[in-house]
Amino acid sequence: MPILEVKDLKVGYVDVQRQTLVAVDGVGFSLEKGEALGIVGESGCGKSTIARALMGYLRPGGEILGGSIELAGNFVFDLGPNALRNLRGEIVAIVPQNPLSSLTYHMTVGAHLQEILQFHRGLSAAHAKAETLSLFEATGLPEPETVYKRYPHQISGGQRQRVVIAAALACQPALMILDEPTTALDTTTEMQVLKLIKDLRKKIDTAIVYITHDLTLTNYMCDRVLVMHDGKIIEQGQADTIFEQPKEKYTRQLVAAIPRVDEPPKREKIAEEQLGGKLLEVKELSFAYKPQWSMAQMFRAVDSQIVVKNVSFDIRKSETLGLVGESGSGKSTVANIISGLQPPMGGGIYFANELLHPRGEKRPPEVLRRIQLIFQDPLSSLNPRHRVGTILTGTIMGFLGVSRREATDRAVVLLEDLELPIGFLNRYPRQLSGGQQQRVAIARAFAANPDLIICDEITSALDVSVQAQVLDLLMAMQKKNQTACMFISHDLGVIREVSHRTVVMRHGLIVETGETEALFEHTNDPYTKHLLAAAQRRDDSIDQPQFRLNTGSNQPSERPYQS
Amino acid sequence: MSEATTWNRIQRSPGTMIGLALVLAHALVAIFAPWIAPYEVTSIVGFPMSPIGTPDFLLGTDNIGRDYLSRLMMGGRTSIFVALVAIAGSVAGASFLAISAAYIGGHYDDIVMRIVDTMLAIPGILFVALIVTGFGRSEAVLIFAIGFSYMPGAIRVIRSHALTIVPLGYVQAARLRGISVFRIFLRELLPNCIEIITVEFALRMSSSILAVSALSFLGLGISPPTPDWGLMIAEAVKTIYAAPMLVLLPSLFISTLVVGLNLASDGLANAIGLDAARGLN
Repeated sequence: MPILEVKDLKVGYVDVQRQTLVAVDGVGFSLEKGEALGIVGESGCGKSTIARALMGYLRPGGEILGGSIELAGNFVFDLGPNALRNLRGEIVAIVPQNPLSSLTYHMTVGAHLQEILQFHRGLSAAHAKAETLSLFEATGLPEPETVYKRYPHQISGGQRQRVVIAAALACQPALMILDEPTTALDTTTEMQVLKLIKDLRKKIDTAIVYITHDLTLTNYMCDRVLVMHDGKIIEQGQADTIFEQPKEKYTRQLVAAIPRVDEPPKREKIAEEQLGGKLLEVKELSFAYKPQWSMAQMFRAVDSQIVVKNVSFDIRKSETLGLVGESGSGKSTVANIISGLQPPMGGGIYFANELLHPRGEKRPPEVLRRIQLIFQDPLSSLNPRHRVGTILTGTIMGFLGVSRREATDRAVVLLEDLELPIGFLNRYPRQLSGGQQQRVAIARAFAANPDLIICDEITSALDVSVQAQVLDLLMAMQKKNQTACMFISHDLGVIREVSHRTVVMRHGLIVETGETEALFEHTNDPYTKHLLAAAQRRDDSIDQPQFRLNTGSNQPSERPYQS
Repeated sequence: MSEATTWNRIQRSPGTMIGLALVLAHALVAIFAPWIAPYEVTSIVGFPMSPIGTPDFLLGTDNIGRDYLSRLMMGGRTSIFVALVAIAGSVAGASFLAISAAYIGGHYDDIVMRIVDTMLAIPGILFVALIVTGFGRSEAVLIFAIGFSYMPGAIRVIRSHALTIVPLGYVQAARLRGISVFRIFLRELLPNCIEIITVEFALRMSSSILAVSALSFLGLGISPPTPDWGLMIAEAVKTIYAAPMLVLLPSLFISTLVVGLNLASDGLANAIGLDAARGLN
């Protein structure tokens, strides 16, 4: 008797024009007690809609068009509000993507759990507290007594996710839904959380539906996998079989698009011989956030928060330098300093042997033209009021001083280079998909005919297949224009794919610099080794306590200004 | 595309449509009043205080025998004009100060915002009354006083919106293109604040019409013999027991306009707000 039986589920959304878009189209699967099922797909494939439907919930505008969900003997869609409330929490629990937004700011994390235990399991306050502490212990939170009294913003992202998992486990649900639970976390923290869930599975008999865009995760976590596309199931089977030998074309493309840490790059970089002399040299760069003025300063010294310390590296002409690190490592700050958005507190930047002014606005236009920056979020990097044509021609005319006619011609060439239709010149950014927006942003950067482009996590907001396409196009553009590139990413696979040399950063310091292939194949640095192990989902990445970020302290590991 | 959906949303909200109809009716009457009003507004044409429905005088006459319908039709012109010019100037000035404060930041932002805080600490109507008593009763002074008193609130709202735009990639990219602060203001920031500016304008319009009427009622606004609703109420209050309609009619005109403006601007804000939120996600 399966614990969960989904039959021919069909869910649609009604849009502004009152048309129904089918988000989930005839999906059916079942789940045995204690089994872990992965649902994998790119954004918009309907996987989160399924997660919500399992809880008997739909986003506003959502509508069940057909099918049924049977969960431990209950038909979810036939339940009334009270029965649904009992179902949620007691039989099914969800661990959402962003733990911070699912915890209330005004309650301590202990109070969150205690409430659940008192409400759903009817425990007394004292009993509930004892149970909470043991749940915190089970989810590996350090010093449960201390964490109990903390508010959500006072603990790190990984700890928050542990609290949410503890809350999900509070009533020993028959089914636990994990909706991209580690997407917001660093690779290191991610591995710890994944290991935790894996270990908990062995102890309790909870079935798991694991929703993710990342096939390597399901391979690590799940027994079976469903691959979804456009609301339909494309392929299903054993996790490792799908990962190693996918049958369907779509799945094969999906697996092929994953940048691998453990394999040599598939893409061809600009040949080593074609790289020129030094283009950019960064010397002893430092940056720190000064503490906000506060009363406390009158009584004790408040340290400024060091973000970047003594960072030095150089980039040769046409070379791609990868900058890799976890959030809070200072890599985006380095990008902002070089581009001139944020003046450094110490050190200097030499571009073509000349010292650059720390503030971008003060640099000569020619220098501004030669260094271009591409941002992480493609939509917010394009002015929503301007058509793509205006965005491109404006940049071309501003930097190259050509006529509008010539600028338009060049814009057309750029669109063709990035495999975008010429009709996009008249479109607004909002009318394009994320990948298309990012390609426009790349076109804008290359419009200036730069010598160096700085890519700050430019593919981390994109789906894996779109990422592959954007990387292909970026590298083609680089080859065509002989442009150097500083490529910042938290994804080691992407870094291996694009960069000649790699710089590893941690806590604002450079850990290691080296030729990419040499570094990936046989690094001696323990931190780099650890990152590589975590990226390959190897269990040994967890047994290195010195790299656990901030365990036991109340310093949040993600900082709001970091990407 | 975006305009079409905004318009769709407005059409689907009955409140907004009623509001728009009221505003449109008032606007048409105010614009064409000199041609459609049956009598000259300042001349005495009948017996004083003729009741509603008197032949030749549809809405009767006032306390000295002027045609009330004509005066009501003309009575909105001055207040609407004063409110419109004052708010247009106020919102334009506020937009400039607010967006530049958000973009430039630092001491400039601090100074602007502390002045705003100080001004917000003075009760609005008292502030206007002070200026009018100081500089005398004229339309120009009234426009200045009202415009000035509405600026601090508008600056706050527009600045808070602009603050969310300044850190976005396209503004930063514009900075790195080395273009002037003025062009960044004009091409990148202002167009993306236009929705909030429109809503500010519409919302403050209704309250400033009330303010003009209140000032006229207090004898600080528009001076006789120019017909004005607030002034007409003030005059009719003296005879309220004999002729209550003389108070109620101008009140009705003020409230229909203000309610219309509120409904229209609320609906507009909703329609635009939803649109903007959709675009960002």
